Amino acid sequence: MTGDVLDSVAELQAFVKGHRRIHVVGKRSKTALHQVEADVALADLSGMTGITEYQPQEYTLTVLAGTGLSEIQAALHEEGQYLPFDPLLPDHGSIGGAVACNLSGSRRHRYGGIRDFILGASVVDGLGRTFRVGGKVVKNAAGFDLSKFLVGSLGQYAIMTELTFKVFPDAPVFQGLRLQYESLDDALNAVFRCNRSTQELDLLDFAPWERGWSLMAGLAGFQDTLPQRAKQFVAMMREETALLDATEVEGDGSLRDPLAGLTGDFLVKVVISPRQIAGFDARVRDIGRRYSAGGNSAWLATDDIGALKKILEAEQLPGLVLRGSVDCPLIGKSPENLLAARVKQVLDPHNKLV
Amino acid sequence: MNRSFFEALRSIYPDDRLLTRDVELLPYESDALTAFQTKPGAVALPIDEEEIIDTVRLCHRMKVPFVARGSGTSLSGGSLPIADGLMIGLNRLNRIKKIDPEQRIAVVEPGVINLHITEAVRQYGLYYAPDPSSQSICTIGGNIAFNSGGAHCLKYGMTSNHVLGMKVVLADGVVTQFGSESIEGVGIGPDLVGLFVGSEGLFGIALEITLRLMPTPQLYRTVMAAYDNLGRAGDAVSMVVASGLLPGAMEIMDRLAIKAAEASVGAGYPLDAEALLIVELEGEALQVEAEFAELRGVIEESGAFEIREAKDEDERARIWQGRKSAFSAVGRLSPDYIVQDGVVPRSRLGEALVKIGELKAQYQLDVANVFHAGDGNLHPLILYNGREPGALEKAEALAGEILAMCVDLGGSITGEHGVGMEKREYLPTMFSPVEMEIMRDLRRAIDPEEIANRGKMFPSGEAPALQMRGMHPLERQGVISRE
Ligand SMILES: Cc1cc2nc3c(=O)[nH]c(=O)nc-3n(C[C@H](O)[C@H](O)[C@H](O)COP(=O)(O)OP(=O)(O)OC[C@H]3O[C@@H](n4cnc5c(N)ncnc54)[C@H](O)[C@@H]3O)c2cc1C
Repeated sequence: MTGDVLDSVAELQAFVKGHRRIHVVGKRSKTALHQVEADVALADLSGMTGITEYQPQEYTLTVLAGTGLSEIQAALHEEGQYLPFDPLLPDHGSIGGAVACNLSGSRRHRYGGIRDFILGASVVDGLGRTFRVGGKVVKNAAGFDLSKFLVGSLGQYAIMTELTFKVFPDAPVFQGLRLQYESLDDALNAVFRCNRSTQELDLLDFAPWERGWSLMAGLAGFQDTLPQRAKQFVAMMREETALLDATEVEGDGSLRDPLAGLTGDFLVKVVISPRQIAGFDARVRDIGRRYSAGGNSAWLATDDIGALKKILEAEQLPGLVLRGSVDCPLIGKSPENLLAARVKQVLDPHNKLV
Repeated sequence: MNRSFFEALRSIYPDDRLLTRDVELLPYESDALTAFQTKPGAVALPIDEEEIIDTVRLCHRMKVPFVARGSGTSLSGGSLPIADGLMIGLNRLNRIKKIDPEQRIAVVEPGVINLHITEAVRQYGLYYAPDPSSQSICTIGGNIAFNSGGAHCLKYGMTSNHVLGMKVVLADGVVTQFGSESIEGVGIGPDLVGLFVGSEGLFGIALEITLRLMPTPQLYRTVMAAYDNLGRAGDAVSMVVASGLLPGAMEIMDRLAIKAAEASVGAGYPLDAEALLIVELEGEALQVEAEFAELRGVIEESGAFEIREAKDEDERARIWQGRKSAFSAVGRLSPDYIVQDGVVPRSRLGEALVKIGELKAQYQLDVANVFHAGDGNLHPLILYNGREPGALEKAEALAGEILAMCVDLGGSITGEHGVGMEKREYLPTMFSPVEMEIMRDLRRAIDPEEIANRGKMFPSGEAPALQMRGMHPLERQGVISRE
């Protein structure tokens, strides 16, 4: 599968005008999203890279859509800042892909997901027009906010060429904790306990573990207060939840990476709420999985996508297949299409962008 | 308004919830932008979502324009009625339908007052974060229309960042639902919540809203620093940002605002200051204390001639009371005033303030400055006397120059009040012709008859004549104050 590498907005505009059906690719880290029919032309944005404007003082960053996530993270890190939505697949993905698929990592728990940090974008729509949506400052209430609309839009409404984000100072130190529970019920109760507490967690994920469930928590802050805060947190959990054991985690690799250890031909993101998890989990016991952001999203890895699709349909949960070969990456409950169709009519009336 | 439309309305509403007499319509003639006044054809007061849906469908079928109204506190003329159109008052849809503290969410009707949510969830250690100064009176529906914010939006964002799901009736009567109870909101597929929030009532009416709640901070630490010039206060903000701290709020007031606030509520502000900076940290106690020690160092280095730390909740409340009352207090110094809320990049705040100073001299009008310094959101308050011929026009012209300056500096014409009626002629200064065309097309794709809040946001020929400005009636009574 090769595509035309487009290095400039003008090239992309000409490409859109010159083709009937177009699919956009960045770094192609999410294979399931690029299974397109033979007559679809691939617009490859992996050449549109680079940071166009970064003003640490403003907490804003503007980058070209094909820029690799690791490059962005490195530049921010130098200034002690980070993308608080904690992009997934930092080593493989592009920023445009992260926005189009709405893929945040576990640390989104603290401040929010991509929708909370995108400020604006430059796009080329299905008519080949180029324009900006949103703004470049951290606050803007003028005009319709099409920049948020692009989050999760899978490149089907307009092609993002440049993106502006709000960024934050990162905490100097991070402390990971692994808390063990006997059952999902106990782990869920522990999550609910966390939600009723005023302790500010950076990360709150949970996944099955050999002898039960493991709750992964993270705190971020200053070196001299972190140990004490972690102690307070564990004490609360020991007292008020059915905690079996708690350990501090050195380094943070596997703790922060929600996909660590998830193997299977298909990788799927599911949007879920904590209360839906007990019912859902009973049906996916044989599948590798991790619940992220306090149980507000789930990552599942399976070899049998057909079965998972049926479960999501029955549970009325929306899923997005990221890895593996599928006809359509959207499975389970379909996204709303009454209002979205109106936007499509304006930005891509000829249904070019697929 | 034609008879058959009235007859059809009567089949939806009993007499006491369909207002048509002049005296009944009077309170609905304007919002907090009192410069504009228009009499609506009628006011309908629905009590449930079915009535709203039936009403919108009727308006669409009979091509009658409508305006949804929460509490009418819009500062940009967003809830100004349309002459001969229908006003749909949503205050009676004020139920909090669900609170789930363990998931940190609430499901509410659109007429629920912003502050009532916090009051209802406080017992669970939670609060609803966006805090417009009008929060004791404005509704979630109005907040959604403008993506409203307040002094504490630097860290956790504006209304849009706190809405997870909604049920809406679009202007053509189609009812749809998007988002969820998950913190991810829509999560998969385009973020329609993000699109609807901030659409200024032009897409339709929000019927039910799922909101995210936040844990009440364990501790607030607030410091107030006085400077002998505005530029130094602005530099102090940059120093705080450069230190890597992330305060919950950073606010600046200038001399005129300080004096007025002090005269009004006696907040203990130093009267010899040219500028006052308020910085507040919030969060987990241990972390906040450690951050505060660092903040103290930064402020001490910033050239402030007086630094005061709030020792307890009472002192903190006093500092904020002064800040929150500043606008109405300045307003009382003058018969009339205009508030703008343009945004500039934070690093260009100093430049913006110098320019406002020059414009002030050039126009010979007083301007007080109070602003959300953390996010570059200015709130210049232009004072004038509406009884002097030409004074309003002069103030309008000055306001226009400030907006143009915000755009020139790479900012926005509005950070939180919306475009509404007031700034619609300025929207094209921020957006290119293609961008304007796309927004217009989008509006028409959703509302082909352009009946929802017709005449707002987009530049257009017909506008009611400007009249004298003044305070919102509730401000005059001291119930609310503006930022
Ligand atoms: C003293 C004062 C202080 C203020 N301080 C702030 C501040 O700090 N920050 C800030 O952001 N704003 C502030 N405002 C402005 C104002 O309070 C906000 O814009 C608020 O969100 C308006 O709410 P409302 O219920 O009064 O809405 P209204 O004025 O009644 O309506 C505002 C807009 O919302 C639309 N609308 C209402 N309900 C719905 C619905 N259910 N669905 C769709 N559209 C709807 C209306 O059609 C209209 O366009 C202040 C205003 C005053 C008077």
